[in-house]
Amino acid sequence: MFSIIVQYLYRLVPGNPILLRVIETGGRRRRDLFIRCAYLGALVLLVLMMLVQSTSLDSASLAALTRRSGEIFWWMSHVQLALVALLAPIFTAGAITQEKDSQTYDILLSTPLTNGQIVLGSLLSRVFFVVALLISGMPIFAITQVFGGVAIRSIVQAFLIAAVTALLTGSMAMAIAVFKVGTRRTIFTFYLCILLALAIPLVLEQFGFARIEGARPGTHSSLLAGVNPFLAMRVIFNDGKYLPPEMGQTSIAGHSALVQWYFARPEWFFITSMTLMSVILILPSILLLRLLAQSTNTMRGWILKKLHISSGNRTRRLRYVWANPIAWREARTRASAARAYVMRYGFTTLGVGAAIVLLVLHAQRQPPDVVIADAGYDAAKSELTILDHSEIRKIRLSFFAADQTSIQMDETNIPTTALTPGMILEVNEKPGQPGRARSIKILHPTARVSLAQTRQFLLGAVWIEVAMILLVVTQSAASTVTREKEDGSLDLIISTPITSRYYIWGKLRGLVSFALPLLAVPLASLLLFLVYDLFRFQTDPPAVFTWTVFPYALIALPPMLIVMCAIAAILGMKMSLQCRTTVMAVIASVGIMAALAGGLGFCGMKSAGSNLEGGGLVVSALSPFSLAGILIDGANYAPSMFGGVHSDFGAAFSNHLLVLIAAWAMAGVYAVVVYTMYTSMVKNFDMTIRAQAT
Amino acid sequence: MAAVIKTVNLTKRYGTLVALSNLNLEIEEGDCYGYIGPNGAGKSTTIKILATLLQPTWGEARVCDLVIGYQSRLIRPLIGYVPDYFGAYEDMAVQEYLEFFAASYNINGSARTKVVNDVLELTDLGYKRDALVDGLSRGMKQRLSIARVLLHNPKVLLLDEPAGNLDPRARIEMRELLKELRRMGKTILISSHILPELADLCNKVGIIEQGELLYSGPVSDILRRARAGTILHVTVATAQEQAAALLAQDDQIENISTTNGVLELSLRQDVSDYSFVPQRLVQAGYKLTMLKEEEVNLETAFMRLTKGLVQ
Repeated sequence: MFSIIVQYLYRLVPGNPILLRVIETGGRRRRDLFIRCAYLGALVLLVLMMLVQSTSLDSASLAALTRRSGEIFWWMSHVQLALVALLAPIFTAGAITQEKDSQTYDILLSTPLTNGQIVLGSLLSRVFFVVALLISGMPIFAITQVFGGVAIRSIVQAFLIAAVTALLTGSMAMAIAVFKVGTRRTIFTFYLCILLALAIPLVLEQFGFARIEGARPGTHSSLLAGVNPFLAMRVIFNDGKYLPPEMGQTSIAGHSALVQWYFARPEWFFITSMTLMSVILILPSILLLRLLAQSTNTMRGWILKKLHISSGNRTRRLRYVWANPIAWREARTRASAARAYVMRYGFTTLGVGAAIVLLVLHAQRQPPDVVIADAGYDAAKSELTILDHSEIRKIRLSFFAADQTSIQMDETNIPTTALTPGMILEVNEKPGQPGRARSIKILHPTARVSLAQTRQFLLGAVWIEVAMILLVVTQSAASTVTREKEDGSLDLIISTPITSRYYIWGKLRGLVSFALPLLAVPLASLLLFLVYDLFRFQTDPPAVFTWTVFPYALIALPPMLIVMCAIAAILGMKMSLQCRTTVMAVIASVGIMAALAGGLGFCGMKSAGSNLEGGGLVVSALSPFSLAGILIDGANYAPSMFGGVHSDFGAAFSNHLLVLIAAWAMAGVYAVVVYTMYTSMVKNFDMTIRAQAT
Repeated sequence: MAAVIKTVNLTKRYGTLVALSNLNLEIEEGDCYGYIGPNGAGKSTTIKILATLLQPTWGEARVCDLVIGYQSRLIRPLIGYVPDYFGAYEDMAVQEYLEFFAASYNINGSARTKVVNDVLELTDLGYKRDALVDGLSRGMKQRLSIARVLLHNPKVLLLDEPAGNLDPRARIEMRELLKELRRMGKTILISSHILPELADLCNKVGIIEQGELLYSGPVSDILRRARAGTILHVTVATAQEQAAALLAQDDQIENISTTNGVLELSLRQDVSDYSFVPQRLVQAGYKLTMLKEEEVNLETAFMRLTKGLVQ
């Protein structure tokens, strides 16, 4: 009996033929070798750069070296986790198409291999590459041990967090494949969801959301640290500010032991819970694999039928085909698929909805603690009736005489008749004499969400929206030709009289008509605040008027956004033409776009905040992200240019003009780049396509 | 008649692999040309070059006297290409699919509606016009492919394995459809592995092997040439070996072999009357149980030609 169990377990993982095949052949692939070399090269380069930097410091001190060792570990762990987070979905997403690839899948199902062997073999063979990367990086991590300063326990935790992240993405991809929830098109959605799940908690943390009190005063942790690998890993480094609460600490004492553990040990909670989650995802796949394989329906089809959204008949209402069929296909058939509908309307609703909520919160006033009640001020008794936290009480203003007709506050004399009901006050009572005021102060109503917070949230929303739009456009463009290559329809198209110019123009037109409504969302958010500012200015003109968003943002940002979308589209199409598979085209173009828009944005933000002054502003116009940063929250990101004089439009006129001109000029430069790429693509289209034909 | 398709020393290489070697092909207007060859012989490569999808490495290919490469743009409206797979579009209905390709041939407005209705009727797909292309059966997809290439009324149809993987009924329907197209005067180049059907459909065939054209000409001619050198299958009730020895003495018989207990007699090429075989055997007292001439059809011709038995 024992030997049977041992043999079963042996065949389940170490002797699993599917896994063995991948381990034996995968290591010899040239592509894998290049990726592994690039990964290790990046880690080695990082360590070398940091070591070289440390020699320029006063490195004679052992403490300094230990500190530097800790920094190296911090960077390496983050780079490793970021690479794993990026690569794991790419390598595991292939499992989703396994269902399509039923020729090999059916053969596997007809062998004596058990469900467990098939599911675990497929899962581990996909995770294998990422795990191999992690293991190959271990010797580089060992360098940190030379100088000390990093506990082995921390290294183990960092590796476990990265490995569990890879395991979870693999398990999710396998579950989607086995339960037939997804198709080839799901790969991108899956990838996007993983990235959003990783990024959103980080953004929320950055803006101070979902924070909990830490173990020491002045420290904090995130509510989401237990479910996000990056936040969980921050705990390992013990950086002084980010410190989770202790078990039993007052702030979390009211919760159950499990919740307390979640708050106090987020790194271990992440490792344990995500491993458990992987098991939960995989277990039904193992149990139901052969049963589900017999089903001819997809889960999506079943759900749509149950919801009466689809009758299950494979027919559809006919649509009118445009004179340019290529543009029609891009804009209507692909964009009007249910997924695209949900994406477009969901995106618009969420984006505009978030802006409206933010505007309402910003427009709403904070409920005051103390206001003058209806009875008001009784001059005879020098008594003021106030509403203090919803409780009516009287307070004696003994600091001036009854016959006094004015009181001095904030170095100005205010007549006592000005103390009218509804006025917001701050009352400072005499110690030990409640009901007798030592001083009072008139307060202005404050917004529920302050101006600075509003700008930060608005900027965050615009960044997320622009990033999503660029991702969607890049992905759509990158898959547009490769998909036709894969399903064979490209040959049919290019054997018709359609020219390469017509074909590429049609594709671009279709992509743009798909992306334009999405672009309206961030712009509509800015417009909302502009209209609100104008309304505010008309109804209650303040002494010093401060724009929430610089008004010219509405003419500076659109050309940059449109041209950046055009770059995303043309770059995606170029990759789509050159790569043989959709996955490769999407990875390449998303990577380039992320480096271009993200990298330039990062440089732009840093330059704007530096002492480069006008030069910094020009650099910030290189990317829509940094440009949005300047236009929405210039006071924060370019304090030297817009800080003190933000409200003074006249004084900062030249800076504003510079930003506007730089934004338009960069949009023009990018437009030239797009046009050059377009003409080159048209010219080389036939050659590229025919060179790939076999 | 003028050659609608003509290739001169057409050569295509993929790296070191020679897919086509000095192919000289000539197909006249109205011909239905069956293109036969084993897998990897170069049939699809030839068709892809003629469909302007591939550039030849060497040599020249012309369609309607227009040169592939220089004048591909002018050739495309004249041809209709059906590949050996179905180029599916997700989320498109049958009529949308046809309208999409009609627009690709610059057929718009009411003309498009009319032509789409006409081809739907011709291919008997009218009742499926709002069905999703993805959900059609293989036979229907193939009919839709034919409907697609008829939209612009091309002169030349290039069909790469149009009946591959079809069930017998769908295959018969496809054959009838192609016959109808032939009656309409289209020049058809069709590659197929189902040789009896080609014999029934085509007036000319070309046999290609390893990129080289072994034969090109009328079907009747290749059958006649393959018939030269009759093969007889003979069985006798007893003493088969002695009977074989007896027949071997006759100089009209070139070769005798035994396969599964059946004597296979190869007669000399100039011998067409084989009545002497039963006479000899009966006279020698053997009880003849079977005498059958090997049937010569396109399949046998193909087998003989690719084995080098027919020159």
